[in-house]
Amino acid sequence: MSTKRGRDRIELLQGTLDLLILRTLRLGPAHGHAIAKAIEYGSDSVLQVEQGSLYPALHRLIKRGWITFDDGTSENKRRAKFYYLTAKGRRQLHIETSKWDKLARAIGRILRPAIQE
Amino acid sequence: MRGRLLGSRRGRRALDGLDQDIRDHIERETQDNIERGMTPEEARRRAMLAFGSVALAKEDARRVWVWAWLDQARQDLRYAARTLRRSRTFVTAAAATLALAIAANTTMFSVLNAVLLRPLPYRTPEQLAMLWTEDPTQNLREGRSALWNVEQWRSQSQSFADMAVFDAVSLTLTGTEGAEQIVGARISPNLLPLIGVQPALGRGFSIEEAEQRQRLALISHRFWQARFGGSNDAIGATIVLNGLPSQIIGVLPADFQIATLDADVWEPQMMSTGVRGGDTWFVIGRLRPNVTFDHAQAEMAAVARRVNDQLPAAERNRGISVVPLSLQMVGSQSRLGLWMLGGAVLCVFLIAAANVASLSLARSVVRAREMAVRAALGASAGRIVRQLLTEGILLATVSGLIGTLLAFVGIRLIRAFGPANLPRLNEVSLDLRVLGCAVAISLLAGILVGLAPAITTLRRDLRLSGEEGGRSVAGGAATRRLRRALVVAEFALAIILLVGAGLLVRSWWSVKSIDPGFRPERVLVMELSSPTTFSVAAQRTDLYHRVLEQIQAVPRVESAGIIGDLFIGNTREQVLTVEGDGGTVSERLRFRRDEVSADFFKTLGTPLLRGRFFSIGDGPDAPRVAIINDAMARRSWPGRDPVGRRFKLGPRDSDRPWYTVVGVVADMRRQGLEREPVPQIFESLAQNPPRSVDLFIRTSTEDPLTMAGALRAAVRRVEKHAPIYGVATLEEQLGTYLTQRRFQTSLLTGFSLVALLMAAVGICGLIQYSVATRTHEIGLRMAVGAQASDILRMIIGEGLMLSVTGLAIGLVGAWWLGRAGSSLLFGVSATDPLTFMTVSLLLTAVAVAACYFPARRATTVDPIVALRVT
Repeated sequence: MSTKRGRDRIELLQGTLDLLILRTLRLGPAHGHAIAKAIEYGSDSVLQVEQGSLYPALHRLIKRGWITFDDGTSENKRRAKFYYLTAKGRRQLHIETSKWDKLARAIGRILRPAIQE
Repeated sequence: MRGRLLGSRRGRRALDGLDQDIRDHIERETQDNIERGMTPEEARRRAMLAFGSVALAKEDARRVWVWAWLDQARQDLRYAARTLRRSRTFVTAAAATLALAIAANTTMFSVLNAVLLRPLPYRTPEQLAMLWTEDPTQNLREGRSALWNVEQWRSQSQSFADMAVFDAVSLTLTGTEGAEQIVGARISPNLLPLIGVQPALGRGFSIEEAEQRQRLALISHRFWQARFGGSNDAIGATIVLNGLPSQIIGVLPADFQIATLDADVWEPQMMSTGVRGGDTWFVIGRLRPNVTFDHAQAEMAAVARRVNDQLPAAERNRGISVVPLSLQMVGSQSRLGLWMLGGAVLCVFLIAAANVASLSLARSVVRAREMAVRAALGASAGRIVRQLLTEGILLATVSGLIGTLLAFVGIRLIRAFGPANLPRLNEVSLDLRVLGCAVAISLLAGILVGLAPAITTLRRDLRLSGEEGGRSVAGGAATRRLRRALVVAEFALAIILLVGAGLLVRSWWSVKSIDPGFRPERVLVMELSSPTTFSVAAQRTDLYHRVLEQIQAVPRVESAGIIGDLFIGNTREQVLTVEGDGGTVSERLRFRRDEVSADFFKTLGTPLLRGRFFSIGDGPDAPRVAIINDAMARRSWPGRDPVGRRFKLGPRDSDRPWYTVVGVVADMRRQGLEREPVPQIFESLAQNPPRSVDLFIRTSTEDPLTMAGALRAAVRRVEKHAPIYGVATLEEQLGTYLTQRRFQTSLLTGFSLVALLMAAVGICGLIQYSVATRTHEIGLRMAVGAQASDILRMIIGEGLMLSVTGLAIGLVGAWWLGRAGSSLLFGVSATDPLTFMTVSLLLTAVAVAACYFPARRATTVDPIVALRVT
């Protein structure tokens, strides 16, 4: 039962998390931990990413060809996978961003009267 | 394992080092936490917490790369299981139908496989053949051969690499517990190498040993287990056969038999004796590589002509027939019967599949809405077809599994109750080939079942239109047509099976109503051997006389008689010299000669047509007398009274004694009910007592077997060392000739009734559905004045039209197939009008009955209700 609810949450998060990853990588290549931290700090710690769910999301994006990766060395001389956007990913980010804006506006329009009440 | 399902190289590269990536990630988080001032333990705990389940992360990352279709297939499967669980009635009906059909098919094809298809257990068995002596002028086919002839064939033939001989013998085995009779065989020393069988233990005979007539024996695996407990001590041990010691030199493999000969003890027989000997041997040969049976047959015909030149004039018409061993073991009659049953069971399967497909079609119309919704939600046509196929295959798999389990049971039943005289039936088992066949059949069924609704769904173009979404999904004309065609096909197949079954049942009645020439009820049969020391005829005469006396003194025994051997296999032709009106005539004749006691005919209830039975006066010193059967009388003294006439065995100048005919008895069918009786001659037992005899005891009890103990004791009081064996009722023995026919008849009848039932269910379902979709129309008709009887007639008429169409097609098929299988019939023609008419009426009646119930429901339609719901 609990795993089912967990999966549902990933389903819910899926699109959003993907978008956040793409957005983060627009600033340049990063390894997994750095992406997680960037999302956390970038949202003033409002968005707490369950770090484990980052990896399936990364693989999903690789599979779709939106990001790719290289083996590199991190700041503290550790070997790590560095993920970066592909051209396709850049286009996708644009599409996803405008979709998100539309969604946010639409939901906002629906919610606002309720708030006024 | 999972790695293999991963799709691309990219995926493998991405997943490579995933563990390390995650470990590094947590390590970095821990470091961050420490820098924020946590203790290392706390830092690590928090890092783990923030990451969540490592296993789930890895699992989900991997799953990204798993073949997409596999994932979809899993979805399909789960969805299919859920759908099927919801429609329990449909699943139960469909799975039960399919499972039964699959079980019947698997069982039947296991039998076909073992009996007809699987190679014989010898080395390159396709090169082995039986060779028979034949003589067209004597109506002799598949006759045995003399050693001298075989020696000639062997030296003159180029086609055969080698030939060997064998024959069954009855042996008296004397052990610590007394004497008993066992089945033995004599084989030439080259027989085992020829068929390519090695003794499991010890060795075979050498040619020298056979020529020196050494008393050696090979024993069967069964005998070895029973007598020696499977011990190696058996080799070199001595057993006493027919009063003389023989040394065991080898044990044959388990279940070994030559053709259909299954013996416990095998003795050596030399091939070249220098004398011609009797025509008593079975001959088996191995063809040289690349020689065909046709070629061998042609060559042996030429060999036969050369050999004939050296034979006496009366035997110069002899030929040799070469029969492939596999054909010999399972004759063309049995083969035809089995293929017929295989075809029948396949028909049952087709009907079952048609029914299930028809059910699915009906469902597909109901589900049109569901499909349309799915299509509207973005499912592609291919996806929907796949979904339906998955449902069909899942259903078939479940049915296949149940069917296979049922087939296990079926095979056990067939092995237990199948005809014992069908060779190799004991080898029937569920083997992989058959299992594969069942799986293929199940999948085929699944595809059929799935495809039918898929096609109609696609035809409907997956529109979610108002009129289709509502009540009036009258199920497109295509669906209706398809279902009607299926019902017609079902009826056509059912009538073919019914006609076949009807003809076999009539044949069975014909066979059963044949007068065997004796009354088998309440008669017990025992075989009795005289002790091996009774070498003088008078000793045996005395023994049999006293045994009969003792037996007749047992309570509830009405009478008792003796004959050398009641049931006969192949008869041999011999020269007979007969005194007729125009002097004495010698001719070769197929006839049977036996010795009978005075009360034999009385005991069996065989009527005397002329003259008298034997009496106590027909002793060893009295003039030789004979009783003949009606067939013999008609053959040798046509239109004359044979009583008082004389005949003798052998040619005119032979020194055999003359026999005087004293009586004529009715014909007895001693080769099975279906064979015409051959001419038979009976001698007085007292004048020529054989070494072993059949004892017949007519009792006054319904179950004569209960008297076996008392009768055995009676014989033992006379002579302790005379073995008794083969105790059975005469009805039982007569019945063994019918087992194959009973097997065929009962199975085909069963199959055809199942087919009929399924066809009835099929048409009932169709009509019911048709009524349900025509409620509105029926209501309208009733509103404008149609009576209930009009509606009834209309609905039943619809069903009747379908069944009669099927009937017409099926009758043509039955007529055509019946002629091909006419050799399986007895006393009835393949186009027997009575059978055709009866089964046609039966089928029509069943169709009407099947349509009646849904039609009745149609008449209860309330026009107001039907019209309001528009």
